[in-house]
Amino acid sequence: MKIALTVWENRISPVFDVANTLLLAEIANGEVLNRQFASFNPVISSRLAEMLKQMGISILICGAISEVPANIIAVNGIELIPFISGNADRVIDSFAKGKPIVPVFSMPGCGKHRG
Amino acid sequence: MTKLQRTVKLDETTTEIILESISDGVFTINHDWQITSFNHAAEEITGISRTEAIGRHCWEVFRSNMCEGDCALKRTMKEGKSFVSTSTHIINSEKKLIPITASTSLLKDKKGKILGGVETFRDHSLVEELRKELSARFQMGDMVSSSAAMKKIFYILPQVSESDSTILIEGETGTGKELAARAIHNLSHRKNEPFVAINCGALPDTLLESELFGYKAGAFTNAIKNKPGHFALAEGGTIFLDEIGDTSHAFQIRLLRVIEEREFQPLGAVKKIKANVRIIAATNQNLSEMVDKGAFRQDLFYRINVVQLKLPPLRERMEDIPLLVERFIGKLNRISGKAVIGIDQEALEALMYYDFPGNIRELENIIEHAFVLCMEGKIQLRHMPINLSLQSLAADKHATEHDTLKSAETKIIADVLKRNNYNRKAAAKDLGMHKSTLFRKINKLGIVLPKIDGRSYRK
Repeated sequence: MKIALTVWENRISPVFDVANTLLLAEIANGEVLNRQFASFNPVISSRLAEMLKQMGISILICGAISEVPANIIAVNGIELIPFISGNADRVIDSFAKGKPIVPVFSMPGCGKHRG
Repeated sequence: MTKLQRTVKLDETTTEIILESISDGVFTINHDWQITSFNHAAEEITGISRTEAIGRHCWEVFRSNMCEGDCALKRTMKEGKSFVSTSTHIINSEKKLIPITASTSLLKDKKGKILGGVETFRDHSLVEELRKELSARFQMGDMVSSSAAMKKIFYILPQVSESDSTILIEGETGTGKELAARAIHNLSHRKNEPFVAINCGALPDTLLESELFGYKAGAFTNAIKNKPGHFALAEGGTIFLDEIGDTSHAFQIRLLRVIEEREFQPLGAVKKIKANVRIIAATNQNLSEMVDKGAFRQDLFYRINVVQLKLPPLRERMEDIPLLVERFIGKLNRISGKAVIGIDQEALEALMYYDFPGNIRELENIIEHAFVLCMEGKIQLRHMPINLSLQSLAADKHATEHDTLKSAETKIIADVLKRNNYNRKAAAKDLGMHKSTLFRKINKLGIVLPKIDGRSYRK
C-alpha cells in the first residue's frame, strides 16, 4: 500500500491548503519501506489527486483542510484522513503497524473526524 | 494578605473577566509554542474547547494559512515587534474557512521578562458576508452585471417575480434568457416548486404538444402508457417556453387556450386538467415584427407579453466583460481545480474588440477554451481562440494598416449592400455578421445609404 502525508519540517503540515511538501511511503507487512519527498502545489488539488493516482497512492494523511480541496481529492478516489497532527514519522509508523491514528494524532476538536 | 497583594489579586481577576467578556479571540503561548491560555471568544471562533487547546502547539489549534510560512507570532517572537490586523483564514473542524484578522505581540511579566507571545484574532465572517451582499447588488440569481441596462432589469425583477403574470423575455441567443427565467422563479412564491424548461424550437409540432401536455395510453401508436407532460410536471411551479417564436400557428392556438383557461388536455384524454403553472416565454426574434408579418398570432402575443423583459446583447454591455470573465474563471477554477488568477490586459483587449454574436455563452466558451491551454497564472492572448487573436491583430492601431483595413471594409460593405438592394438584414447575412453589427459599422465607417426602404426589396 502506498500512502502520502503533507509535511512541514518533521511534522504533519498544519494546513493542507498552504502545504507544499509530500512524504510518500510504501507500506508492507507493518513496515515502512520507502520514504521519499515530493513538492506539490496545493492550489491545484485536482493535479495533486491525479499525481497521487498515477503513483498508485490511495491514502492521503493531512492536517486541517478546507472543503473544496477535500472534495476534489475525495471525488478522485483518494481516501483522505484529515485533521492529523504530530511527528510525521510517528504517524506513519503507527499507521503502518495498523494502530489507529484517529483520535491519537487528531488535532484538538477533531477527534471524531475521519474522511 | 497585604493591601498590595489584594490589589494585585483583584487586578488579575478583573483582567480575566475582561478577557472572557471580549468578542476577540485571545490566546497566549510559551517559548515552546504551546498554548498557555485560551479565552472564551477563542473557543467560540475556533470551535475548540479550552481544555483541548491548552498545552497543544498553537498551529494545531489555530490552523491558519500563516502558520507554516509566514507566522506573525513567530516574527513577533523573533523581532520583538507587534503586528496588527493581519488578514488570513483559519480552518475549523467542519472544514470551513473562517476569515479573520490577527494581531500579535510579546507577552511580558511585570518585570519585563518575556514569557512568550499573545495573539488576538477577530472573526470577519460577518464582514465578508456583508461585502458579498454589497457586490450582490450587481447580481441576481446567476446573472451578474454592472451595466445600467441590466441593473434596471435587476431592479424590476423582484416586483415581476411577485406577480403571477406571464412574462416574455426577449434577447439574442446566449444573453441568459433561461437564467433570467430561473431568477424570476427563485424569487417568486413558487420557488420550492418545479422549474421546467423546454426549447419549443427544438421539437416538431406534434412532439412538442405531447411533450408539453402529455398523452394517454392509446392516444397514438406506441403510446402504451400514460405520460405526463411538462405542464403537469411543472404543477405549482414555473414553465419556461424558450424559442416561442419558432412554434406553428396550430400550436400557438393550443397554448393560447391553456393560458386563457388555465387548463390543458393531454393527447387522447377526454377531460381537461387544471394547470397552476406560471408561464415564462422567451424568444430571440422580434415577436412584435412577427405579428405584423402574420408569422405569430397576435392574440397569443398579447397574452404572453403581459410583462416584457429585453435582455441586451453583450456588445451593448461591454463593461460587463471583465466581471463576467472573472466569474467564469472562478467557476472554471472550482470545477477544474486549477489556479488561473485572471486575464492579462492584451487578452482582455482582444475580448473588448470582439462583437460576440453568441453573446455571454460565446464568452464563456472562449474562457473555457483558454482554460484548456492555460494551466495557471493569467490567461493570455495565446490561450485564446485563433479568430480572437487575429481580430486583435487587425485592431492594432498602426495608422496605415488601420486605414487600409477601413477602406477595404467600407468598399466590401457598400458593395454587399448595393447587391442586396440596400436590404440591411440580407446584407448582414451575406457578410456573416449580425444586423446590428452591420448598422454599427455603417455608422462608424460613414457609409451613406440611399433613402429607400431596403426591407421592401427582400430577396
